[in-house]
Amino acid sequence: MESLIHLRDLCIRQGENFSLSIEHLELLPRRIYALTGPNGAGKSTLLRSLALLSPPAQGCVSLCAAETETLAQQRRRVTLVEQSPYLLAGSVSDNLAFGLKLRGIRGKEQQGRITSALAMVGLDGFEQRKANKLSGGEVQRVALARALVLRPQLLLLDEPTANIDRKSLQAFEELLGRLPDYGVTVVFSTHDLAQPERLGAEMIRIENGRLLDESPRVAKYNDNQQTEKKAWLKPLNAQGL
Amino acid sequence: MDYLFESLRDAIELIFAFDREVQATVWTSLYTSCAAIVLAAIVAVPAGVLLGLTRFPGRRLLVTLLNTLMALPTVVVGLVLFGVFSRQGPLGSFGLLFTPVAMIAGQMVLATPVVAHYVLAAVKGSDARIMNTALTLGASRFQAGVQLLREIRFGVIAAVVAGFGRVIAEVGVAMMLGGNIRGSTRTMTTAIALETSKGEFAMGLSLGIVLLSVALGVNLFLNLLQQR
Repeated sequence: MESLIHLRDLCIRQGENFSLSIEHLELLPRRIYALTGPNGAGKSTLLRSLALLSPPAQGCVSLCAAETETLAQQRRRVTLVEQSPYLLAGSVSDNLAFGLKLRGIRGKEQQGRITSALAMVGLDGFEQRKANKLSGGEVQRVALARALVLRPQLLLLDEPTANIDRKSLQAFEELLGRLPDYGVTVVFSTHDLAQPERLGAEMIRIENGRLLDESPRVAKYNDNQQTEKKAWLKPLNAQGL
Repeated sequence: MDYLFESLRDAIELIFAFDREVQATVWTSLYTSCAAIVLAAIVAVPAGVLLGLTRFPGRRLLVTLLNTLMALPTVVVGLVLFGVFSRQGPLGSFGLLFTPVAMIAGQMVLATPVVAHYVLAAVKGSDARIMNTALTLGASRFQAGVQLLREIRFGVIAAVVAGFGRVIAEVGVAMMLGGNIRGSTRTMTTAIALETSKGEFAMGLSLGIVLLSVALGVNLFLNLLQQR
């Protein structure tokens, strides 16, 4: 199977004491990867590199199906939800519409996608809520909906369950587990070592800016199954999430 | 003390009598300052954002220069541009000296560093996640910069208001480049200086009250915007 994204000889320096150095990492389409490692290991830096936010000083990060596209075009295939996401000024709907407008999606299609994405994260009817009036958990879910509404090929989540209560965790994991069925590759960082197993995710372990083990520890995916993309954005029957 | 109170009463009477000369002077002040601040904002807002977001050799020197230009004496700007617009100057053939255009040019030079400095401060003080959020949602760097401006709009408005305050209250440029010509380039500040020197204290005071009212009005407008 052709890889979705690969990193080669990547080196990113941050200050004098830290550098992320990855010789080779390849991610396959429609899979879930869990990024684990202690604080300061380089998880967030790796996620930002995968999000193509800044060209590395050394090495390369390339999206295999889009090598002829510009950086901005490639970036539209990838979405990153940060650990403490920033919601843009305005309403929840404005936030979800931002990326869609950039892709030329307007009118009824835009509205339909927003409604579905909010339903997926259990925030039906939140369209007109002011972004600055939401609770921490709601902010996290709006940020996830804002990413899902764009239907990215690669969804990057930086500790997505850090601010989610136990009740919502199960629904969130159920949603995350279903995303590969819709053609999405998910990479999420976590400190919960049981979570990758629950989700059947392949582990990427990182420490001191280096990968410890690049081979998948948990193989969930069977390439003979689920080869076709499913219809997108069927609301998840989520309680709380 | 009676002199002050009588002058104040006369000044208020002059304002409410809608004196034609006062009206013409207020109008000249307002439109030259507004034109100057619009032109300055067109240059200074992108410059402030660029300085805040990019790193290049000489950037620190440029920021230091910008901060120095904030304290630029108005008469020095007036003097330099007088040389540029005078008959022997490079733009002398256009006959712009002692016209509102020359005043607007001078006031623009005064306001640009002020606006750029405050926009730069707003960008530096903004949430570092804004740019990354916009980029990761598919924006180009330019589109992300535009979104950043939307997010820090109150800082940008405050920068423009600070620049407006600088130009509407200045005397040097208006006097040297405008020439204080009645009905054409006489502004509130140059008229205050002139009327007071003629002993028309009430007239000067009435213009001073209008000037303060404009400043108050602009700040009230800013407060209203921030509360929305």
